[in-house]
Amino acid sequence: MFLYLNPQSGLPIYRQMFQQLRERISSGQLAADAQLPSVRELSTDLHINPLTVAKVYQMLEREGLVEFRRGQGTFVTAGRRPLSAAEQQKLIQPAVDQVVSEAIHLGIEESTLQRFIHQAYAHKLP
Amino acid sequence: MPTSSPDFAIEADGISRSFDCTPALSNFTLRVSRGTIYGFLGRNGAGKTTALKIIAGLIKPDKGSVRVLGTDPFEFTTEDRQRVGYLSEKQILPTGMRVGNLFAFCAPFYPGWDQALVDRLLASFRIDRCKRIGALSQGAQRQVAFILALAQRPELLLLDEPASTLDVVARREFLDEILDLLRRGGPTVFLSSHILSDIERVADHIGILADGALKISEPLDRLKDTIKRVRFYDFNRDPGSFAVPGAFRSERSGREWLVILRLEDPAQLDAPLRSWGARYEIQDLNLEDIFVEISHH
Repeated sequence: MFLYLNPQSGLPIYRQMFQQLRERISSGQLAADAQLPSVRELSTDLHINPLTVAKVYQMLEREGLVEFRRGQGTFVTAGRRPLSAAEQQKLIQPAVDQVVSEAIHLGIEESTLQRFIHQAYAHKLP
Repeated sequence: MPTSSPDFAIEADGISRSFDCTPALSNFTLRVSRGTIYGFLGRNGAGKTTALKIIAGLIKPDKGSVRVLGTDPFEFTTEDRQRVGYLSEKQILPTGMRVGNLFAFCAPFYPGWDQALVDRLLASFRIDRCKRIGALSQGAQRQVAFILALAQRPELLLLDEPASTLDVVARREFLDEILDLLRRGGPTVFLSSHILSDIERVADHIGILADGALKISEPLDRLKDTIKRVRFYDFNRDPGSFAVPGAFRSERSGREWLVILRLEDPAQLDAPLRSWGARYEIQDLNLEDIFVEISHH
């Protein structure tokens, strides 16, 4: 699996990995029942500490995105529990805050930003 | 004397050590959990090599106690010593000896000697075992010393600036080797390095040594998650007396303040901001930024 990790970022590696895997699962690139590489394989491929991979898998499991099947490995959850509106907001808020700060900085009107968001939705969910 | 715990590979308490009139370590305390890769950082002269030598049992502290794998390293038996691999900052290898002979010479001293590992690593580092040590590049000599430290299959590996003479590709191979050992349930690794990008890639725990004591000792993830640079701006009056309690460093420029602090939750900024009407922006820091901020302090 190809992930882009920058160990020298201020964002810890586990957060970078978590964000990318979550995006692949929610966009369907990693479909339900798809098997994730083992902790050992993925940490070898990415040249990172296996504890980091294990931690990310646990975070994904806590969010209900993957499940551990005994003796088989880690799989993308089928029919997963939808997050509550509050959980969704908690997860998205930091990204929204950042986009809005950036937009204010650039002098972008709220309506224009909404149009950009609309376009991005159309692009990702055709 | 504190009792030793099986959870820790290294326990040092209240270590002080001076050379002539200069203190190298003063009240240095350290815990290294088993199974971790601990990145030990500090500026030149901060006392890293002294700390490593004390842990390896090569110099005695003036004050304090050390337990390595549960035992005082000065009371190590031969068997205890075989459980600790140590790569010193300036390894001394017999330059006239051929690589293969050096390994053949060392093997009988270690019951746990792993010749298959030696063979695999010599091949993967492309080191010619027929060459004399002195004819190898600096980097290859360093790799030989590293293989020697690993071949005894230690439970604890102490590495003092292991990769400083290696090129980028060799460093990456070296790091992969350490990670590979870890994946096989291998040793606890305690390593000092100036190459922070290497540490950032492999270490799960970070210690920062400054003025002879540890200023920071915690998981790298927590360090990056919580040590932040915050810029305060839009103050409603001259912010000369503005201060955030517990900051590592604060710097003022005109009507802005830049503050380095441990930020567990942005809500902790509400109290200092009250009455100033200011706004703030939180910036992430990488290990190099954090290191500079903390060892500068």
